[in-house]
Amino acid sequence: MPNGTPTRYTAVAQLLHWVVAALIVTQFTLAWLAEDLPLGMHKLALLARHKSFGMTILMLAVLRLLWRFWHAPPALPADMTPLERFAAKGTHIAFYVLLFAMPLTGWMMSSAKNYSVSWFGLFTWPNLISQSDDAFAFLRATHFYLSDALFAIAVLHVLAALKHHFWNKDDVLRRMLPFNKLEKRS
Amino acid sequence: MMKHAALSVLMLSATALAQAAAPASYVADPSASHLDFTGVQAGAEFKGTFHKFTAAIDFAPEDLATAHFDVQIDLNSIDTKDNDRDKTMRGPDIFDVAHNPTAHYVTKSFTKTATGYAAVGALTLHGVTKEVPINFTFAPGAAAKLDGTASLKRLDFGVGQGDWKSTEWIADAVKVSFSLALKPRP
Repeated sequence: MPNGTPTRYTAVAQLLHWVVAALIVTQFTLAWLAEDLPLGMHKLALLARHKSFGMTILMLAVLRLLWRFWHAPPALPADMTPLERFAAKGTHIAFYVLLFAMPLTGWMMSSAKNYSVSWFGLFTWPNLISQSDDAFAFLRATHFYLSDALFAIAVLHVLAALKHHFWNKDDVLRRMLPFNKLEKRS
Repeated sequence: MMKHAALSVLMLSATALAQAAAPASYVADPSASHLDFTGVQAGAEFKGTFHKFTAAIDFAPEDLATAHFDVQIDLNSIDTKDNDRDKTMRGPDIFDVAHNPTAHYVTKSFTKTATGYAAVGALTLHGVTKEVPINFTFAPGAAAKLDGTASLKRLDFGVGQGDWKSTEWIADAVKVSFSLALKPRP
């Protein structure tokens, strides 16, 4: 690294973070809307978008991982306890795992049900596995459980960021925000 | 004696000639034949097949004037490798098999093409009759084969009512392909 440990996330990391965050909120919304609908045009349309956004998240997850590999994130505040550091690290690792696991289980789910995944109608992704009712049931359950886990971790992540900002009054939230001056060096 | 023999030979040849000129009559062997279609759903292709159909084929390459195909398709036998989708397609808004359980294709005329043959026939589907052209190749012999394709627009036949009339998520164009293993018609 040219300038030692950076004090904030790079613009690219920030952009990827917020775009993916917005996409994940969209994904939950689409999934909730589609979940209880009978097979019909409305469900098909919602799930088509859900799949296109999901594959977008998968591609962005690859980008994020590569970016993270070459651009170290800013260090955690020095006053964090070992337990807090462990929680922060664990949460972020879980996020990266889920950023891949969610779209991959979704993609496999579609394959198992023999509904190939299109990316916004521009091209079609290959089926990952062949049609199977059992695999579909298993993958659907997995996709749902993982989404619960993602939801829980996202809540924890938001609460932690707010706690850092309003309670600890450090730069943890601010360093992920564009157009924001850092007030305190952590 | 010689006179009789010559006469027999003559008669035999005449029969052979008559047989050669007459169109060969076949039926499709259900165990070795298939009739498939490909639709586009939310930008991604999906394949389906009709397990039950009968095909009466009269065809001799040297006598296209007498050629004739008559194909009956049991729409209930649809299989797209997803029960939900099959059920929906049998339902009132798509094939409406309760009222129109079969589709029927009868040829009207045949022509020779650069790569094989073409025919125009009347397809009755969902209570609507419209002309649909097909292209095919024919391999004569003991294991005669007929392979071909067609493309049609589902909405020409009213396949897709209500929401399903929209082509935003379900394309209008459907590709059909068939491969018939022919055996002599009894």
